[in-house]
Amino acid sequence: MLQAIWDNIKGLYSLLVGMSITGRYLLSPVETIHYPRQVVADEIMASFRGPIQLTKGKKDPAQTRCISCQMCVKACPGHCLSVTKGDTKAPAQWLYDFSYCCLCGACVETCPTGALEFSHKVYLVTLTREELILDLLADLQKRAAILPESQPVPTANLAPPTVPDVESIGEPK
Amino acid sequence: MDLSLAIFVQIIAAVLLIIALMVGNAVVMVYMERKVAGFIQRRPGPYEVGPWGTLQAVCDSMKLLAKQLYRPGNVDLILYYLAPITAFFPVLLLFLAIPFGPWLTPLPVNDGIVLILAFAGLGVLSNLLAGWASNNKYSLLGAARAVSQTVAYEIPMILALLAVVLQSGSMDLKRITDQQGQWPWEWNIVLQPLAFFIYLVSLVGETNRAPFDLPEAESELTAGFHTEYSGMGFALFFLSEYANMLLVSFVAAVFFLGGYKGPFADGFWWLFLKAYAVMFFMVWIRWTFPRVRFDQLLNINWKWLLPLGLINLWLTAIIVKIAL
Ligand code: SF4
Ligand code: SF4
Repeated sequence: MLQAIWDNIKGLYSLLVGMSITGRYLLSPVETIHYPRQVVADEIMASFRGPIQLTKGKKDPAQTRCISCQMCVKACPGHCLSVTKGDTKAPAQWLYDFSYCCLCGACVETCPTGALEFSHKVYLVTLTREELILDLLADLQKRAAILPESQPVPTANLAPPTVPDVESIGEPK
Repeated sequence: MDLSLAIFVQIIAAVLLIIALMVGNAVVMVYMERKVAGFIQRRPGPYEVGPWGTLQAVCDSMKLLAKQLYRPGNVDLILYYLAPITAFFPVLLLFLAIPFGPWLTPLPVNDGIVLILAFAGLGVLSNLLAGWASNNKYSLLGAARAVSQTVAYEIPMILALLAVVLQSGSMDLKRITDQQGQWPWEWNIVLQPLAFFIYLVSLVGETNRAPFDLPEAESELTAGFHTEYSGMGFALFFLSEYANMLLVSFVAAVFFLGGYKGPFADGFWWLFLKAYAVMFFMVWIRWTFPRVRFDQLLNINWKWLLPLGLINLWLTAIIVKIAL
């Protein structure tokens, strides 16, 4: 009996602890970012695993490291990749159907040459499914043109929609 | 009782004002509930419609008004439409007995608290009717839970209020208010802290709010007794639920927190301030604690609140006897 009473007093105290936590949260500033009035800082986006993309070549950033070995095509559980071999080892066409991708990362893991990586695109929006079939070679060319080799880590290259007074908030953790 | 024209006009005016109060209260509470929920979860809550999202609740109620009244097949027609009405009207009556200010009681009655407790019991009848008439297992389960919960939590609630009644020797809400002073240390909460605590817990149980919201537990019963109601049928339940919250908060304010009395100037503003503080507390605990299980719910009541309430009542009776 005494034990039960003591347990209940402790239980009441734990309720107070819970209320103090929510009370503190109530008074602390909100964490949510009001998209599209604000966007997340690129540094935070670096940990986001978006649709896959081809990594830049070591010598020529516009040149893919892919050797058309088809390992990723076999590994992909969603059958969303199709790599067509060209005259040389380098692929002639590299298509990626993002609508089937589950972002499992099996392709990234299997690639023997490290030609694949996750991008940090959060703003990928399309109106039709067909637009989700991405031509990764063209994407690579585009990124290589935007960012010279000297510049470090690529971040989201699909620019957020332009809205007046966009401010970027959030500190890198 | 001479039912002169003046009293008649007074009652009509009071009823109209109370309906306005109930609707306004629901709008304010929906906004407050969503904002507090948002801030507790570190998100902004509604903020797009109107300045700081203040018009969101108004938009939502417009939407409810415009919705089609959908009635599922095989319902008990009379009871199905009677239930929201029985939910709404008793609450309306209850506000009549609350002394809003020194000269502002809609209908002065000697035994205000008896009136309130008697008609508050009708609220659960509407839940029962709604659950029974809907011809839906979730509704029926919700109604069964509502009845056993409300019946259980009414007892400690009454015990807590009785302690105050014993102490002040009156059931008149106005006299109970008048016996308390202006400053917080002159309020009944100082003399009856245990009764206030019991009342606070059973108030959450009585109004079916989280963590005691078993009659409408979304994750278990979709929406409990009002699952099958749409449009204004649902809106009436919703209104009366928030009105019920306001009412028990008013009673808490009158019995324990000095009613309309407050530092500097007495008036209805103090009553509203205190009632909304209690409401804020209810919202706060809703977003802090998880829902209890049904056996836990009844255990809290029968094993703790009821004995504590009885002990408190006995002690109060003895002390009042000795002191007088
Ligand atoms: S992440 Fe998984 S599903 Fe997506 S392309 Fe790579 S292997 Fe296929
Ligand atoms: S596994 Fe790598 S190298 Fe092989 S086809 Fe896929 S991307 Fe190209």
